Amino acid sequence: MSEDVLFQLNGVGKSFVKGKEKISIFDDLNMSIERGDFVAIMGPSGSGKTTLLNMLGGVDQPTSGEIWFDGTRIDSLSESALTRWRAQNIGFIFQFYNLMPMLNAQRNVELPLLLTKLSKAQRRKNVETALALVGLSDRAKHMSSEMSGGQQQRVAIARAIVSDPKLILCDEPTGDLDRATADEILEMLQLLNRDHGKTIVMVTHDPAAAKYAKLTLHLDKGKFVQREIVA
Amino acid sequence: MNDLYLIYKNMTRKPLRLFLTCFAIFIAFLIFGAVTSLKTALNSSVELSADNRLVVFNRINFTQSLPISYFQKVAAVEGVKDVTHLNWFGGYYQEQSRQIVSLAVDPESYLRVYEEIVIPEEQKQAWFNNRQGALVGEKLAQIYGWKVGDRIPISSNIFTHKDGGYTWEFVVSGIFKGDSEQYDTRQMLFHYKYFMETQTFGNDWIGWMALTTDDPSLNEKVAKTIDDSFANSQSETDTSTEKSFNKAFIEQIGNIGLIIFSVVFTAFFTILIVVGNTMALAIRERTGEIAVLKTLGFSSARIFRMVLSESLLIAFIGGLSGLAAAWLLVEGVKTFLARFLPNLILDGDIALQALLFMLLLGIITGLLPAFNALRLNIVSAFNRQP
Amino acid sequence: MGSLIAQIISVTLMNLGSLRRRLWMSLAMVLASAVVVAILLAFLAMAKGFEETMRGAGSSQIAILMREGSSTELNSVILQDQVNLITESAGVARDANGPLVSPELYVIVDGIKRSSGTEANIPLRGLNETGMAMRTNMRLTEGRMFVPGTNEMIVGEGVLREFSGFDIGSEVRFGKNLWKVVGVFSTGGNIFESELWADIKTIQSHYNRGSSYQSIRLQLDNDGGLASVKQTIAREPRLNLDAQTEREYFASQGKQLQYIATFGWVISAVMALGALAGALNTMYTSVADRAKEIATLRALGFSNFSAFCGTIAEAMVLAVAGGLLGSLAAYLFFDGLNTSTLGGSFTQVVFSFEMSPDLFLQGAILALVIGFVSGFFPAWRAARMPVIVAFRHAA
Repeated sequence: MSEDVLFQLNGVGKSFVKGKEKISIFDDLNMSIERGDFVAIMGPSGSGKTTLLNMLGGVDQPTSGEIWFDGTRIDSLSESALTRWRAQNIGFIFQFYNLMPMLNAQRNVELPLLLTKLSKAQRRKNVETALALVGLSDRAKHMSSEMSGGQQQRVAIARAIVSDPKLILCDEPTGDLDRATADEILEMLQLLNRDHGKTIVMVTHDPAAAKYAKLTLHLDKGKFVQREIVA
Repeated sequence: MNDLYLIYKNMTRKPLRLFLTCFAIFIAFLIFGAVTSLKTALNSSVELSADNRLVVFNRINFTQSLPISYFQKVAAVEGVKDVTHLNWFGGYYQEQSRQIVSLAVDPESYLRVYEEIVIPEEQKQAWFNNRQGALVGEKLAQIYGWKVGDRIPISSNIFTHKDGGYTWEFVVSGIFKGDSEQYDTRQMLFHYKYFMETQTFGNDWIGWMALTTDDPSLNEKVAKTIDDSFANSQSETDTSTEKSFNKAFIEQIGNIGLIIFSVVFTAFFTILIVVGNTMALAIRERTGEIAVLKTLGFSSARIFRMVLSESLLIAFIGGLSGLAAAWLLVEGVKTFLARFLPNLILDGDIALQALLFMLLLGIITGLLPAFNALRLNIVSAFNRQP
Repeated sequence: MGSLIAQIISVTLMNLGSLRRRLWMSLAMVLASAVVVAILLAFLAMAKGFEETMRGAGSSQIAILMREGSSTELNSVILQDQVNLITESAGVARDANGPLVSPELYVIVDGIKRSSGTEANIPLRGLNETGMAMRTNMRLTEGRMFVPGTNEMIVGEGVLREFSGFDIGSEVRFGKNLWKVVGVFSTGGNIFESELWADIKTIQSHYNRGSSYQSIRLQLDNDGGLASVKQTIAREPRLNLDAQTEREYFASQGKQLQYIATFGWVISAVMALGALAGALNTMYTSVADRAKEIATLRALGFSNFSAFCGTIAEAMVLAVAGGLLGSLAAYLFFDGLNTSTLGGSFTQVVFSFEMSPDLFLQGAILALVIGFVSGFFPAWRAARMPVIVAFRHAA
C-alpha cells in the first residue's frame, strides 16, 4: 500500500436481510483514496453512494471485505473504538447542516473540540481560525435560526475542520442550497483541498458540484462504472 | 464550553416548556411536602410516647371517670414504678375559642411519671407548696405572655366553680420545657386537690391514670394485673400502653384521613407521570441531534450521561424548590395550627423521601430516552431527516 | 362566511386524526385533566356527604339547651330542677301530654370499627318517650323499640354499617352492664344514625348520673319560639344555659369537617395548577409538532382563526375525555363510600360520600375550563404561525 493512500477498500460487500430476501448493495467494491485528493462520488438514487459514505465515515460497517484507513483496519473496530476514531479523523458536512439549534455559531464549531484535550485558549484559537477560514468571524454569536442556509453550511464546514481531521466527508453538501450559494460552498471546499491539503470525499448527484472535485467516481448498482479525472 | 453547558443549553432551549415542567414538579413536591408533614404531625404523638408508660382508663370509654381509690391500688401492683392520676379540665382562657390543654394532677407523682418535663428546682418546689399554683408550658406561656407569679383566670367548659361561674384563678408557679423539641409544651398543670375542693361535680373521682413500669417487658403483665383486679367492679378498667392508646385515638379520625392522603398521593404520582412523559418526549424529539453528536464522535456513554443529567437536573430544580416552598409553608402555618397540630414540621425523613422521589423521577424519565440514545443507530437516525 | 365553519371543521378533524401520532402526549393531557377532575370530585363528594348528614339532623323548630359555655353535649351538665324550670317557659310547644321537652343524656362508649378493628367513640343517648316523639323522621327499619327500664337499646343504621357487634339480637357490654340490641333505626341518613339510643332512666342509674342530664331538646311553638326561651333563661339566674336551634348547633358541629373540605379545595386547586402546567405543555408540543402542517394549511388559504379553533377543539376533546375518565374513577371509588370520623362532639359521625349529578356537572365544567385554558395559549401560537414555516426544510 502506498504511503499516499489514506483509504483503501478491499473487496467490500454490504448486504442486509429484509424479510426473507437478502438485499445486496455491494459485493466486491475496491477503491482507494489518496491523501490530498478531492473525490466526488456520483450515482442515481439507490446506487449505494450514501451507504458507501456511511462506511467511510465509520457510521456503518461492511458485511464482508476490509476497510483500511491510514494503516489501520477499521471495519472490525468496536462501536466505541469507531466513535473515537471518527472524533480523531473525520469531519462531517451534512445536507441539512445539522447544527445544534440551541448553540450559537461559535459553540457549534467548538463542539468537536470537546472531544479533544485542547486547552480552553487553544480551543478558542482553533474556533476563531476555522470561522475566519469560512468567512464568518462576524457571525460568531449568531444562532443558526438567524443565518441563511449558506451561512449555516459554512458554520458546518468550520465545525468539520476545526479539529483538523485527516478526512472531510460531505453528504450532498449543496443539496439544500441555491446555485450561487452552492458554488460558494464548493469553492470553499476546493480551497480547503487545494490550499490546506484537506482530503475530501463528497457524495452528490449534482454534476455541477462534482466538477469541483479532482476525481469523480460514478457508482451504479453497487459498482464503479466510470472514473473521471478533472484536469 | 463543556458538557454542563451543553446540558444547560439543551434544557433551556424551550424556556416555556422548561418552566411549565418545573412548575408542575414544583407543585407536586409542594403538596407532597406539606401533606406528608401533616400526616406525620397527626401520627407524631404515637412516636413520642415512652415505651414503659401505660394509661388506665374506664373500660366504658376514656371520657368516663374512675374512683380515686384505684390510685392506691394501682400503685401497689408489682412492676409499677410510678403512677399518677389526671383530670381533664376543659379549660379556656377568656374566650371559648382559646382552648387550653389543662389537667388537674397530683403534682409530685405526675413529674415522676412524665420525666420529659424539665423545670428549675425552685419553681418545682414553689408549685408543690402553692395549692393554687399552676405549671405552664413554655410555648403556652409565650402565646399569652404569662410570667412566673402572674395570676391567670382559666375557665372550664365542663365544670362549675362552687362559688358560681366557670372560672378558676391560678398562680403561675413555674414554666416548664420539654426535653426534646417535639414535646408539646402547650399545656398547663394544676393541683388535683384544689380542683376537687372548688368544683361541684362530686368528690373523689379521677379521669384516668398514667403509670410507668419498671421495664417495658413487664407492660403486658402489669396491664393484665390491673384490669383483672378491677374486673366485675363498678368501674372496670382498660389498661394499654400510651403508644397504642394514642394510636387508637388518631385512628378515630378514621379512614377519612387515609382516603384524603391516598387521593393526594395518587394525584402526586399522576402529575409525575404526566411530567415525566413530557420530559421523556422532549428528549426523544432530539433524536436527530443526538445522532449528529454521535457521528461527530461523542461516545454513547457520554451522551447517556448528558441526557440523564438533564432530566435529573429538571427533577431536582422543580422538586427542591417545591420542597423549599413546602418547608416555608409548614413553618408559616406552624404557629397558626399549633393548637391542633403541635408537631407540624417538615423533618429530615420527609425531605429524604422527597429527594428519593426526585431521584426516581429524574432517573425514570431520563433513563428510557438515554437508553434509546445509547442504542441509537446513526444510519437509521439519518434516514429520519427530511 | 359559511366556508369559515367548514374550514374550522376540517382543521379540527385533521387535528383529531393526527392525535394517534402523538399518542403519549395526548394520553398525558387526558391523564392531567382526569386527575384534577377526580380530586375535585372526591373532595366535593365527601363534603356533600357530610353536609347531608349534618343538615338532615337539624330542625329549626327544635331548640337545644346546654350548660353555658359548653360547646358540645359531651361537656354539658344539666340538673333536674333546671329541666323543671324550662318546662314552664314560654315558647315551648305543648301537646295533649304536656310540654314537648326532652332532657337527654349522652354517654360515650367504645365500639369496634369494621374498617380498622380499633376502638372508637360512639354516643349512647338516653332519652324518654317525648324525646322519641320529637324526632319525627325516625323510623325503625328492623326489630322493635326498647322497653323503658330495661337494658335494651336500638342502634342507628350508620353504627351498624361502620361498627361490628351491633347486629340485632346481639348483646353488647359497656363496662359492667350488658345491653341487648332490639332494633335498628333510621333518621333519613343524618347524624343521629351514628348513635345508640336507650332509656334515659336506665342510663342514669347504670352510669351514676343521678338525675343529671346533658342537654334539653324542646319543640318551639310558633309565637315566641327561641326568643321566648332565651328570655326565660335570662330572667332566671338558676338557668345557666345556652339555647340555640338544633340547626345552628349541627351547623357549628359540622365545622370540623368543613375544614377538611376547605383543605380539599385548596389541595385540588393547587394540584389543578400543576396538572394544568402539564396540559399546557402537551398542547404547546402538539402545536410545535404540527407547525408545518398548520403553516401549510395557512399557505393553502385557511384562515388563522380556523387554526386557532382547531387547536382549542383538540385540547377540549382531550380534556373532556380526561374529565369523563376522572368522573368515572371518582364515581367508582367514592360514590357511596361509607366512612366515619371524629365529629365535633368527640364521637364518630358516620356518613357516606355522595356523587350527586350536580357534582358531575361541576366536574364537566372543570374539564372544559382545563381544556380551554390549556388550549387557548397554544392555539394563539398556532394562529400566529408564520406561513413561511411551511417552506422550511428542517424545522
